[in-house]
Formats: sequence, C-alpha cells, structure tokens
Amino acid sequence: MKNQIIIFSLLISFSVFSQNSSEKQMLNLQTMATGLKIGGYGEITYNDPDSGVSEIDVQRLVMLFAYKFDDRVSFITEIEFEHVKEVYVEQAFLNYGVSDNFNLRGGLMLVPMGIVNEYHEPTTYNGVERPSLNNKLVPTTWREMGLGVYGRINSASLRYQAYVMNGFISYNGAYKLKGTNGLRSGRQKGAESVGSNANFAARVDYYGLPGLKFGLSLYNGKTQTTDKSVVGSQVGLSMIGFDARYVKNRFSARSEYINASLSDTDKYNLASGKDLGSKMSGYYVEGAYNLLPLTARQKLDVFLRYEDFDTHAEVAGNLTKNESFHRKETTFGFSYHLADGAVFKMDWQSKGTAVPDSESKGQFNMGIGVFF
Amino acid sequence: MGLHRKINWSFVLLYFVVILCSSFSNHENVLYKNILKKVKKEISKVFVLEDFELNPVQIQPIKELTADFSGNRLLEISSNDIKLGYAYVGTAPSKTETFEYLVLFDNQFVIKKAKVLLYRESWGGEIGSKRWLKQFLLKGTNHKFIYRQNISAISGATISVKSMTNAVNELLSSLNFLIQNKII
Repeated sequence: MKNQIIIFSLLISFSVFSQNSSEKQMLNLQTMATGLKIGGYGEITYNDPDSGVSEIDVQRLVMLFAYKFDDRVSFITEIEFEHVKEVYVEQAFLNYGVSDNFNLRGGLMLVPMGIVNEYHEPTTYNGVERPSLNNKLVPTTWREMGLGVYGRINSASLRYQAYVMNGFISYNGAYKLKGTNGLRSGRQKGAESVGSNANFAARVDYYGLPGLKFGLSLYNGKTQTTDKSVVGSQVGLSMIGFDARYVKNRFSARSEYINASLSDTDKYNLASGKDLGSKMSGYYVEGAYNLLPLTARQKLDVFLRYEDFDTHAEVAGNLTKNESFHRKETTFGFSYHLADGAVFKMDWQSKGTAVPDSESKGQFNMGIGVFF
Repeated sequence: MGLHRKINWSFVLLYFVVILCSSFSNHENVLYKNILKKVKKEISKVFVLEDFELNPVQIQPIKELTADFSGNRLLEISSNDIKLGYAYVGTAPSKTETFEYLVLFDNQFVIKKAKVLLYRESWGGEIGSKRWLKQFLLKGTNHKFIYRQNISAISGATISVKSMTNAVNELLSSLNFLIQNKII
C-alpha cells in the first residue's frame, strides 16, 4: 500500500513537472512581479478673474497606489490632497479579473458618466480648469461606493461597465441639493455615507472606428436620506450622457452631452426652501490643433471650447426658472505638453448667462499639470 | 497498525504538499501555458493549419537589438518540414502594468497578425480591438509606425497605444537588423 502511494504520487508529480519543463522550452516569459506601484497626478493653478481677487492654488495633488496581489487580483487607491490641506480618498477598489472579458470591481469608484469624470487627470483634457459642465452637471470628481462588472469585447471594440452604487445624499437633517450646482453638494465620497437606496450606473464605449470613440452613460436611482418618513427628503434621478472624442493627425475634438431628469423636486423644494431644477442639461464642444509636428516629442495644442448648460432647464411646482443658471461659456487657450505626463496650460474664459442684457465675465487662467 | 496508518497519512500529506508546491511555484507556468495556448490557436487560425511545429529561434543579445529575444520569444512555425513563418510574443508596459502581445509573420517577415494576448490593467485595454490592430498588418521590417499618423489614436488609451506602437517598431527594426546581418 505504502509503495503504491509513493509510486502513484511520484508518477503524478513527474507528469506535472515534465509537461511544464518541455513546454517551458517553447516560451519562457517572466511575469511582472507582484507588489506596489506608485503614481499620481497634480495641478497647480492660477485664476485671475476680471473682477475680484486672483487665486494661486495647489488645487490637487493625488497619489496613486496600485497593489497587485497576482495576475487577477489588484487593489487601486488614490489619496487626494485638495488645496494642500484637505485630504480625501478619491478611489479605493479591488479588481478581480475573472476572464479576459469579464472583471469584478468593488469599493470606492468613479461613476462612469461622460468623459472627464473618469479621465480627469490634467494632461488628459484642455483648459486649466475642467469644463464647467463637469462641475455643475456632472459633479466631477463624482465617486461613490459600489460593486459591479466591467470588461471589454475586443472583437466588437466595446468596453462596458455596470455598477450598483450608492447615490447622492439629499437629506441628512439638512437639505443638500440646490439649483445653482444641482447635485454637487450631495456627493458623499464614501465618507460614512448614508445608503438608503441603491443606484445603478452603466457605460458603454465604442472604439471601432479609427480615431473615434463614442460613449453612452446611464445613471438611474434615487437620492439618499437619513429619514424616509420626511416628505420631500428624496428625489429621483435619471441621467444620460453621450460623448464623442476624435483624434486625427494634429487635430482632436471632443464633446459631451448630459441630460439629468429629477423627479419629486417640487416636494423637495417645498420642504427645503431650495430651488432644485427638475431637469438639468447641456453640452460642450471642443476642437484642438497641435502646432508641433507629430514626430516631435512635445505637443502644443491650441483649443477652443464652447459650453452651454442649464441646471434649471426645467423646473417643477411653483419654482420659477433662474436664467443665471443657464451658463454659456467660451474658453480659448493652449496646452503645452512638455513631455508625456507634464503640461503647461494657459487660457482665457468668457463666462456668460442667459440673463437678458447680462455681461459676460472674463477670466485668465494658467496652470501646471502632471500625471505619472 | 497505528504506525502504518501514520505512515500512510504522512504520504498522502506529502503528496498534497508536492502538488500544492508545484501549483504555487508554477504560477508562471500557468501564465505561459495560457499564453502558449492562445498563440497556437491564433497560428491555427491565421495559417489555416491544424498541425504545425513551433521551434524557438535562439538569438544572442546584441546591443543593436531593442526588442527582447530572451526566453524563446521568437518561434519558427513549420509544418511537415516546410517553414511557414514566425511568431513573436512580446511584453510591453501599460500605465502601471505590462501586457503580452503576439505578432505573426510570414516567411519574409511581413506582419500577418497582431494581437493582445493578455492585458492586465483596467485602463487602456482598448488596444485589444481587432479593428485597431489591423493597422499593423501587411507591413515589413522596413516600416515605421507613427502614432496619430499611420496609427490612429484611441482616446483614453494613449499610453498603451504608444507603448504597443513603440514595441512593434522596436521589433521590426530589430528583425531588420538580424536579417541585414544574416543572423536569421
């Protein structure tokens, strides 16, 4: 009996090892070591409005830590210092690669809405400041706790993401949402966040046409409250985003369109005395041209962006539309990429509203951005 | 009897330890096995072959070679002693990870297929798109791919697009050097 076991185990072990060693002669690849990778991004900005005081700020400094447990399991986190002194965790999630096309992800994640919320590093967009639409409509950097799936289908040139996520908080004793910036003040950022209703976020990217990328984002759910019995403490939210990016030779262009429909804002406004709109929508279009040859190591993009968005596109109940929430902004400037991952930016902005006979406000911006 | 039992159990235990150890130490083996399987499948498809042989092409490191030829990354494909082409498996960096890719050549080192075999990172995986990889086809070792000129950009995947473009350029120029110097 004993001998049988020895022979059996030796045979099995031998077959396991011998198969490997013969195949190993064919292809002998070194895997990348498991362990920690450090990266980050940062922006130092100078804003000089026509009227008012100028501001010089280390706006963001974000340290990225990616820990790879093995080929399938990794943890990614970004620790953010805002304005030098405020600390946030921007992302913190665990990835599990089930197969080549299918992955699981859970933790504090970016909501995949539009372009800039996911790709918000300063070298990835033009302008010292992110597009204003990505501040007032999509409250970049919008992140919440969640769990879901993502992956790619190479044969169809598709990337997909679908997550169950926590949502904006509308009531925690105080009412958080208001007309001027919509949902922005309701972001919970994963900090002792209230979870009364699950929300759903999904996005599909299509990149099957050369130089072109289309994205469709969906978000559906209800805001969070600490007390569901308080009438008007929650609103429903359904957001849709469509975006496109195009790059050909020295020309590049992008556009984002966002439409958010909110329900029960009349009850919310009545209870809170706030002025939250029932529909928020808008878009921006941007074109850029690289003045340097494609073979150069550096890149100098001059760009022009026009934004038109309204956080009071529609209002419900007795609320009257506030025309100053309908913004029309033009930004013109350049992004000088000194190297991949290091950029110097300068631009001029004209910020107007739909208020009749109102004057646009000008602003000059300058900034340094890095991403590594 | 008690002693026998102890011995038997210890051997069963030993057996599991051996298997367990082999599965741990062979984590890399699992990786290259999966990759090799994908390589073979791709060769079958591209060369329309069921049976073929793969033989490593040994190349000594020379400073002119910017591509990595260690670990038998370059394989000669043959069937019934007729040489059909070559397969090269490369590793290139993405933002914080690396990815494995395959380039299949015919006998004249003209690219027949480019494919991403294993992409680990969450971002930049768009380079796996079949449509995008088609841009590398039918080019010989004298060709140079230039990002945004004859290789289209993919927004959100810039680092990996540049990395793959650079890797294929390095492979082509290295092969060109080997051909010029009659090493292959």
